[in-house]
Amino acid sequence: MPRGMFKSGRLSKIFVKTPGAKNVLHYRQRKPSKAVCGHCKEQLAGVPRELPAKMANMPKSKKKPERPFGGNLCSACTRKVLQQKARGEAQ
Amino acid sequence: MSLFNVGRLCVKIAGRDAGRKCVVVEQVDKTFVIVDGNVRRKKVNMKHLEPLAEMVDLKDKISHADVSSAFKKLGLDVWEKKSKQVAERPKKQKVKKVKSVKAVSKKESKVEKKVGEKVKVAEEVTKPVEEATEVQEPDSYETIESEKKE
Repeated sequence: MPRGMFKSGRLSKIFVKTPGAKNVLHYRQRKPSKAVCGHCKEQLAGVPRELPAKMANMPKSKKKPERPFGGNLCSACTRKVLQQKARGEAQ
Repeated sequence: MSLFNVGRLCVKIAGRDAGRKCVVVEQVDKTFVIVDGNVRRKKVNMKHLEPLAEMVDLKDKISHADVSSAFKKLGLDVWEKKSKQVAERPKKQKVKKVKSVKAVSKKESKVEKKVGEKVKVAEEVTKPVEEATEVQEPDSYETIESEKKE
């Protein structure tokens, strides 16, 4: 029987095939949810879905797009925000 | 008549330079425009620009230096290209050589310390043997030559 901490479902199960042709059950931390636009709730492109330890070792430019609001808003929503800002300035 | 004539102040909406102000420097065709100012000088789709009410007096196809001076008069920031300063790399080969020389000298010193007198004795032993061989060789040649003559 697995231990109590493995039965709770906190960790994801992964079957690993060993060199001796046995299938062994490994437990791994679950991946975080996909990044989503703060305005329209659409999935963001260019934001990887990795474990925090992997994200910490990744360069900054690979974690999010290098535009203002990159990693928070999708490209369409950023355009709208910046357009409104520019039109407000013009008035 | 499009809004994006030469000298039109705009804000970039898309891409890395989004949210920064720029000026139309040249009209390429119906869709594209060359832009300079607080952005990288670039050919840009008009869809990626938001026009402002202001215009700047510029000639067609003006250089970046003139655009920057015009921007500074207006009190706007200008994008300047940062040229990379290449630092001198430490040469690995030289370091290796130094290390190898040290290691060899250390080894030599160790060998000398350990062996010491034994090496000297060996040299003394080998020298007379060499002399003896040198002496013997001419004799052998002479004998061969004398045999040939006969």
